[in-house]
Amino acid sequence: MTSQPVLVPTPRLKRARSGGRPLRQNLVGWLFLAPAIALIGVFTITPFGQAILLSFQSWDGVSPETPWVGFANYEFVGSDPIFWASMRNVLFFGVVGFFLGNAIALSMALAVNRITKGKTFFRTVFYLPGVLSVVVVGLLFSFILAPGSGVLNRLLEIFGLGSLAQNWLGEPAIALPAVAAVFIWFHWGFGFLLFLAGLQDVPQELYEAAELDGANAWTRFRYITWPQLAPVTSIVSLLTLLAALQIFGTVQVLTNGGPGYHTMVPTLAIFNEAFVNYRYGSAAAMSVIFGGALVLLSVLQLAITGRRSRA
Amino acid sequence: MTLTEDTTTLADESAPERKVPRRRLRLDQIGLYGLLTVAALSALLPLIWMISGSLQSLPELLANDSFLPAVPQWGNYITAWVDGDLGTYLRNSVVYTGSAVVGILLVSSLAGYALARLDFAGKGVFTFVILAVMIIPAPAMFLAQYKLLISLGLTNNPVGYILILITSGIPMSTLIMRSFFVSQPRDLEEAAALDGAGPLRIFWSVILPLARPGLAAVAVIQGLGAWNEYLMALALFDDNALMPIQRGLTAFTSAETPQQQILLAATTISIVPVVIFYLMAQRHIVKGIGAGAIK
Repeated sequence: MTSQPVLVPTPRLKRARSGGRPLRQNLVGWLFLAPAIALIGVFTITPFGQAILLSFQSWDGVSPETPWVGFANYEFVGSDPIFWASMRNVLFFGVVGFFLGNAIALSMALAVNRITKGKTFFRTVFYLPGVLSVVVVGLLFSFILAPGSGVLNRLLEIFGLGSLAQNWLGEPAIALPAVAAVFIWFHWGFGFLLFLAGLQDVPQELYEAAELDGANAWTRFRYITWPQLAPVTSIVSLLTLLAALQIFGTVQVLTNGGPGYHTMVPTLAIFNEAFVNYRYGSAAAMSVIFGGALVLLSVLQLAITGRRSRA
Repeated sequence: MTLTEDTTTLADESAPERKVPRRRLRLDQIGLYGLLTVAALSALLPLIWMISGSLQSLPELLANDSFLPAVPQWGNYITAWVDGDLGTYLRNSVVYTGSAVVGILLVSSLAGYALARLDFAGKGVFTFVILAVMIIPAPAMFLAQYKLLISLGLTNNPVGYILILITSGIPMSTLIMRSFFVSQPRDLEEAAALDGAGPLRIFWSVILPLARPGLAAVAVIQGLGAWNEYLMALALFDDNALMPIQRGLTAFTSAETPQQQILLAATTISIVPVVIFYLMAQRHIVKGIGAGAIK
């Protein structure tokens, strides 16, 4: 195999001589990307452009004509109390999921990281709700939170807390926090897995050195764990936030936005506007406003994270 | 206080000089296990109740005085399976999920390999497009995707649904595969190139077989995602014979308002495949989520 070292430099020589990449090399690259480009082009980029176009048109979902209506859809959506209620509600889910959901995920990851036996068991159980579908979670909790003799009310009675029994999904003031609690039950396992993976990557020497210096548990967390977890924290935060803001199926199955519009969320409002009210144009305007807000949020978060990791 | 005494005795026997730290450690562990057990119970109890409820009779379930069924009503499962037409829905879901996963693996491993190993003009542009596309949220697009599928004549059509599933899985999977290929040694590819194999041949016979761990991680993550997809299925399908399980389950719920215990049985049946899959593949799930989100 003495010929190998002699052969290796050849491609580099060829490239230098032709002054750039040979056409064949570019073609091969694009050939590998062709299926991805075709699919993303047809089913993601085209619809993305179409959605913006559709928001300036009127369409009932059936007729082939989609007349141009200018900003009429945006004016209609702008004065639609349901849509703006849904934006406020989803902000609530976002904030609760972000703080409470991530706090639970992080503390459970810290706890599992410190125990000696049964790590796999707890890891398996904690992510288990996360593999269920939104439909299953919605159906299951609509039974558990049912008024009267629903399981939760019944449990409260057994523990002598019968006075706390509620119509969990029927009372305007309670329905929103109840749905948020279901969301957290469903989603925190995901953040937990990422935090746990992040904790296992923290170099143990740091803790050993800190222990020699007499640092207590809080100091070790504050000055070692938390900074070391920063990249994971920002990813988990972004993903939890996006999942909370795009919540759809759980709400649709659990309350369908009710009572009134107290648990309405933007994705469900968009869906109803299109498939119940047959106003696809204003539904598209809603998705442009809402989608735009999400894109802005992601870009902002990525910019902040990017700056922090570069500093 | 008995617990404290116990740990002291244990510590005394094994290593007297480390008595104090070890006792603290023990107490600490007991507290941690207590906390984790509470969390585990809150994750598991709703599911256990679902199974228990699915085995009760309707009067028993409505009275709700006992957690466990007096006499397990296995018939509920048969009723749910037959009335809910779950066999059809599950078969559809298996076909949709399987096709989507195969498609995603093929397309994203090709693209990920090109991004990791091949050198060509426009590579940076494509990487940027992939990242940009990942930021576009589904609610901003699904209406226009639906309209597109109408114009292609692909509503109520498995092909349209599968193509949407594949497309939505490509960006993240491509990035996972790219980071996987970047970390692989180049020796085998170079040896194959010396033997005269072309890029596609190298990819198919050398790279793909070696990429099994990366492919497995992508497959389980995207498989779970495709299995649980709901929004697009809700928009696309009104023909019951074509619905995937999630869509079928809601169709069953809203159709003739079947009794609660039957619905619980149907819900339980619907999670069996995904829970078995999860328990078997959870190592890859952890790896896949980590690779997909962090790298």
